[in-house]
Amino acid sequence: MTATLTAPGALRADDGRLVLEVAGVVDEVPGTRTLVLRRPGGGLLPAHPPGSHVVLDCGDRRNAYSLTGDGSPCEEYRVSVLLCPDGEGGSAFVHRLAVGDIVSASRPRSAFAPVSTARHHLLVAGGIGITPMLSHARAAVRWRRSFELLYRHRPGAGAHLDELRGLCGDRLTAYTSTPEMLAAVRAALADRPLGTHVYVCGPTPLIGFVEETAAELGWPGERVHAERFSADLDAGEPFTAVLARSGSRVPVPSGTSLLTALEQAGVAVPNLCRQGVCGECRVPVRSGRPLHRDLYLSETERAAGDAVMCCVSRSVDDELELDL
Amino acid sequence: MTTALSARVARFPFPFATDSYRYLTNVEPARTPVTTAAGGWGAGVLDVDDDYAVELAERAAVLAADPTRCQELPHMRVASWDALTTLLPELAAACPGETSLERDGDRWTWRNDLLGTARTFTVGDDDSLPEGPLAFLGSQIQDDVVLLDQREGALWADAGLVTFAADWSMGFDVGMRFLEVHGPVPRVHEAGVVQRAERFLMRLQPGEEYRRTNWTMTVDRRLDTSTETYAEWGRDRRLVVGDPALPDRLHLRVEVQHLIRLGVSNAICFLVRTHLLSLRELATVPEWRQRFGAVLAELPDDMADYKGLTRFRAAAVDWLTAG
Amino acid sequence: MGAEHTSVPRWGSEWPAPDPSARTVLLVGFGARGCAITAAWAADVPAGRPVEVLAADDADESVLAVLTARIAGARVGWRLMLAGPEDDVLAARAVALRAGVLDAEIRCAVTSTDRKRVYCPHCRATTTTTAPVAGETPCEGCARRLHVYAHVSRRAGAYLGFMADAEEVA
Repeated sequence: MTATLTAPGALRADDGRLVLEVAGVVDEVPGTRTLVLRRPGGGLLPAHPPGSHVVLDCGDRRNAYSLTGDGSPCEEYRVSVLLCPDGEGGSAFVHRLAVGDIVSASRPRSAFAPVSTARHHLLVAGGIGITPMLSHARAAVRWRRSFELLYRHRPGAGAHLDELRGLCGDRLTAYTSTPEMLAAVRAALADRPLGTHVYVCGPTPLIGFVEETAAELGWPGERVHAERFSADLDAGEPFTAVLARSGSRVPVPSGTSLLTALEQAGVAVPNLCRQGVCGECRVPVRSGRPLHRDLYLSETERAAGDAVMCCVSRSVDDELELDL
Repeated sequence: MTTALSARVARFPFPFATDSYRYLTNVEPARTPVTTAAGGWGAGVLDVDDDYAVELAERAAVLAADPTRCQELPHMRVASWDALTTLLPELAAACPGETSLERDGDRWTWRNDLLGTARTFTVGDDDSLPEGPLAFLGSQIQDDVVLLDQREGALWADAGLVTFAADWSMGFDVGMRFLEVHGPVPRVHEAGVVQRAERFLMRLQPGEEYRRTNWTMTVDRRLDTSTETYAEWGRDRRLVVGDPALPDRLHLRVEVQHLIRLGVSNAICFLVRTHLLSLRELATVPEWRQRFGAVLAELPDDMADYKGLTRFRAAAVDWLTAG
Repeated sequence: MGAEHTSVPRWGSEWPAPDPSARTVLLVGFGARGCAITAAWAADVPAGRPVEVLAADDADESVLAVLTARIAGARVGWRLMLAGPEDDVLAARAVALRAGVLDAEIRCAVTSTDRKRVYCPHCRATTTTTAPVAGETPCEGCARRLHVYAHVSRRAGAYLGFMADAEEVA
C-alpha cells in the first residue's frame, strides 16, 4: 500500500516512534525503490501481522507504506515505494533517500491481517499493491497456510516477481494483461472451498471488481478483505460540527476535512495518517449520523454510529454533535 | 513466616481507590509502577514472587487431573507460539539470574533454575515442543492465559490455559465471542462496559500493552475456583461464616489482567495473574482494612451475588469494621 | 441472531428468508414443523440455485455426519438454513461453526425452545431436559442437581449447568 497524505497537523506525542537508518536501497524494477530500514545500532524491530504498514515521515508529510516481511521479530523492515511523479511528493522524498539517511516511522500498524480460521487464502494484487501481499505470502509459507496469489503487473515492471516465484512456486500466477487477470480472478472466486478468504490490494478498479464479483458469486462480506492505496474521496457537502462539551460550533466547508476544521478552530485531535487508515483520529459522536468514509471502522462500529474518523469522514445530517 | 507475609502484603495490588466499587473499563498502560500504602506493584508485566514454584506445581496438578483446562482451537497455534515467544523473553528479563534464553534464529534454548527446566525448541515446529507452546508457557508463568482471535468485527476466546479461574470455565467458554463470555455478568451490558472494552481491544496495535484489575473473594488460598470444581469448594462459602478462623480463611482475590496485542499473530493475549491476601494479612494495613470494609458494605446485592460473596459478606464486613 | 451481549440465542419472532446472494443452499429440517419450514424455504430460493433438503426427526449422528460431509465439499457461496426445535438447531449449528462456517452463512428458524441440552462441567456429560433457564435438572452423568445457567456454548450447542446445591451444608 502506498498512500499520499496531506501535511501533518497536530500530531500526537511521538513517543514510541521508531528511528530507522536506511541500510540499503534496491531499485528492482524501474520506478520502484525498496528501502531496507534498520535501527541505527542494530537490534530487533517490533513484530507485526502480515499486511501491516508503517507511517513514514517524508519531509513535510507522512506516508503509509506496507511492510513486506513475514512479521516475525527481525532486525530489518523493507518497504517498496513506487515513484509517483504527479503525487504530493512523498514518493519522491523516498526515492531521494540514500544509504545512511535517518528516517522516523511509526511502529507497525495492522489493518489488513489474514483471518486465522481461513481454510485457504486467495491473494489478489495489482501493481504496487503487491507489497502487503508479499508479506501475506511470506507469512503463509512460514506458517504453512494454504494460499495462492494472482498478480497483475506491467510488462517488465513486476516488483518482487523473481522473489515471489521462488517463494510461491506454482501458487503464483502473474499476468500482464488486465482482461486475463480479471478472468482468472472471476474463475477463482467462482470455485473455491468454503472457508476461503480473499484479500485484494491494488488500483481502485481492481478492488471494485473483486468486491463486486465476490458479492455476485455469494461471498459474504466477512470473507472479502481489501487494502486501498488511499481513500479516493470527493470534497463532500458542508456541515456543522457541534462540540458538546464547549458548546461551540465549527463549520466544515466542502473540501475541508472535519479534522482540519477542528484544528483550525483550535481543537487538538490525535492523528497520524489523515487518510482514514490508522484509526488514530477517532472522535466520539453524540448525535447526528456520520458519513463514514474511512477504511478503519468495522461494519458494527459504523452501524453503532457513535464514533467518526474525522480525517476523512463527514456528516449525513446538517449537524454532527461530537463529544469534544 | 513474618517476612514472607509482609512481602506478600508489600507487593499486593490493592485495587480500591475509593470507598465504592462499580464495573469500569479501568484500563491503563502496562508497566506503570503503582505505590500502595504497603509498598507497590506493577513495574513489569510478569510478577514472579515467593509463591512461584508452589503455584506452578499446583497448575501442573490441576492440569493432570483435568486436561480440559487447556484449550486451543486448531487455528490458534500461531497465536500460542506468539504468546510463548513474547513472554519467555519477558520472564528472562524479570529473572535474569535464575533464567536464561538463548536464540539462534528460530532455535531457542530456555533454562529456568527456579523449576529445573531446560528445553530447546524450534519456533513454529510443533514437534519440538510436544505439549504445545501454550501448555509450555503455562508451565513457566503464574498467569492464566487466554488468547483472543480477531475476525468478523469481533474478538473470540479461541484458546486458553486457565487453571485458576474465578468461578468460570475455560473449557465451556472456548470459541465464544468476547461479549458472549461476559454474558452472565450483571450490569456491565446496560453500561456498555464490555462492548467498549471489546472495541478498545480490537483497536490495539501490534505490541501495545495495557492492564486492569478485577477482584472477588475466596475461602482459603484456593487458586482453582473453577466451575468444574465448584462441588469441592462451594460449601466453604457457607462453612466459613461460623468459623472462628474466618479472617485467616477469607481472602481478597485480586486479578491483575494484562492485555497485549501480539505482533505476529494479531491475537490479543489476555493474562490473568491471581493474588490472594487473607483479611488478617490485609488488616495489617489499617487503610486497606477500612477501605475494603467500606467497599464490601456498599456493594450492590446483584454484584455481590455474581461475585459469590453473599453468604459471608456480612461476617466479613463485621470483622473488617470491628478493627 | 442472539442478543449482542449474551450467549443465549434469541431467535427472531419471524423466520428468516433465504439469503438472496446464496449460490447453493442446504436446508435441514428437524421434525414435522421444521420440515414444513424447509419446504417453504425451498420454494423461495431463486430459480437456478441448487438446493438440497435434508429431513430428520432430530439432530442425530447420522444427519450431523451428512452435514459435516456437505460442508467439507462446499464451495464459497454455499449457505446453510436450519429449522426445528432449538436443541436440534443448536447442535447442527455447532457442527457447522466448528467446521468453519460463518454466522453470516447460517440462518435459523426455531420452532420451540422447550428442550435444551445442558452441559455438566463437573462430569462433562450432556443432559437433555425440558427445564427452563434458571431451573434445575438432574445430570445424567453424575446425578448432581444442575442449575441451568443463562450461558450457551456455540461450539457445544449446549447450556452450562452447575451444581445447584454446592453451597448447601449436608
